Amino acid sequence: MASRAAPGVIGSSRSPPFSFRSAASLPMISLPVRIHANGKTNKGLTVRAMAVAKFKGTQRREKHLTEMIERKVTEAKEVCEGDATSDECKVAWDEVEEVSQAKADLRLKLQQEKDPLESFCQDNPETDECRVYED
Amino acid sequence: MAICAVYTTQSLNPTCSISTPSKTHLGFHQKQVVFYTTGKKTSRRGSSSSPYVITCATGDSQTIVIGLAADSGCGKSTFMRRLTNVFGGAAEPPKGGNPDSNTLISDTTTVICLDDYHSLDRTGRKEKGVTALDPRANDFDLMYEQVKALKDGTAVDKPIYNHVTGLLDPPELIKPPKILVIEGLHPMYDARVRDLLDFSIYLDISNEVKFAWKIQRDMAERGHSLESIKASIEARKPDFDAYIDPQKQYADAVIEVLPTQLIPDDNEGKILRVKLIMKEGVKFFSPVYLFDEGSTISWIPCGRKLTCSYPGIKFSYGPDSYFGHEVSVLEMDGQFDRLDELIYVESHLSNLSTKFYGEVTQQMLKLSDFPGSNNGTGLFQTIVGLKIRDIFEQIIASKAKSPVAATKA
Repeated sequence: MASRAAPGVIGSSRSPPFSFRSAASLPMISLPVRIHANGKTNKGLTVRAMAVAKFKGTQRREKHLTEMIERKVTEAKEVCEGDATSDECKVAWDEVEEVSQAKADLRLKLQQEKDPLESFCQDNPETDECRVYED
Repeated sequence: MAICAVYTTQSLNPTCSISTPSKTHLGFHQKQVVFYTTGKKTSRRGSSSSPYVITCATGDSQTIVIGLAADSGCGKSTFMRRLTNVFGGAAEPPKGGNPDSNTLISDTTTVICLDDYHSLDRTGRKEKGVTALDPRANDFDLMYEQVKALKDGTAVDKPIYNHVTGLLDPPELIKPPKILVIEGLHPMYDARVRDLLDFSIYLDISNEVKFAWKIQRDMAERGHSLESIKASIEARKPDFDAYIDPQKQYADAVIEVLPTQLIPDDNEGKILRVKLIMKEGVKFFSPVYLFDEGSTISWIPCGRKLTCSYPGIKFSYGPDSYFGHEVSVLEMDGQFDRLDELIYVESHLSNLSTKFYGEVTQQMLKLSDFPGSNNGTGLFQTIVGLKIRDIFEQIIASKAKSPVAATKA
């Protein structure tokens, strides 16, 4: 955990998942930030940020799945009002289950926080973005 | 003057696969030939041509097929990750392919999701009024064809079922691996596919535990409520009982997850009682036992040598009959809190097929952030993984007739 940092510097509890190796396509970052006043020496505010980089595509997909779950649950409830044992009812709830599982898998993937550049560099260590010099 | 023959990929035996190793270390493994491209490109440092490794299988293929019946979605499940970890290497979705692919590939293992063999996509199933659990929604002929082809050493173009869109995507190429795992709802449903399996596992979650886990999974979602989760489980139950549950009788190993008996009226599903039901008489498979095979024993490891926190750990082992077959049942109720509990328990179990003392504990610790790492689910999944490795090695040993012929360059 980052302790007292100089004012204006973001200290993060883990190393940020985005690297500055390539400035192309900066991800949209949602930064939940906790600000606490430094009581003793009152040198300003220290900010502890947990950066969870979510790319636009991922955010869109998450939103899409969440909306789909809501929609499918309401659909299933409607269909099952008539006859709870009908085939349509079973299929509707099966769809709800499928989409819920897809959402859970996405959540799991997000938790792993894989930097796409890291996985690229694992396979291509000689490219310009990935070369590491050990002198 | 030397005459060199250059082999392109097409002219090689189709069982060969070319992979570019990510690390630049070049160890000499069995059956691998390292080719350096001789040309202007390699004289420069940092060029893009990296050495290619061509791996060729011998004449008769040595792919073993494992079937895993589970209701919890495909390939990303904890069991799969534990299994692939036993063999070494992390299993990942195929690189550069469909990002919604359900397949996982590691160095030795490929995990195929049987949902990819759906004959009807989501709209098709809605029209016909069948759930995904119904065998009418799956193409068993294609499943049998492709699993057989992979077992014989031929690569296949397997369709992809996209769980997000609910559509069938264009196929992806699957190359025959050493160990092929088919995971899904119906691995043992079709008799032909069943005969191809070298080992089969059924993951049987009891209704109370399933309910508790689904609540944990879905309660954070905006659309879900307790009633909707309950209704979803209830609605799927008839199809599940009719089509999926009967596969239990064909499995060589069943992992049954039940609520604990150590805490009365516990319905949180945190402490679990897990049974490992192992069929007797399966080729190459020797069941794990406690104290002595064939005897019945109940064991509480906590006491003077080991102090456990509430509610403790309870083991039992004994022979039984399961759907008309002779089985041995090893059961664990409770939770591990500390490393030494795990090591103590491991040292008293026999026939674990470990390569060294403490391997089970080591595997459990490696994946200690996975769910189930502190109870019977993680323990038995790890043990089954080791058993599968043992079966694989025994099958290889029994098939090894002539040494591998050296490849010509």
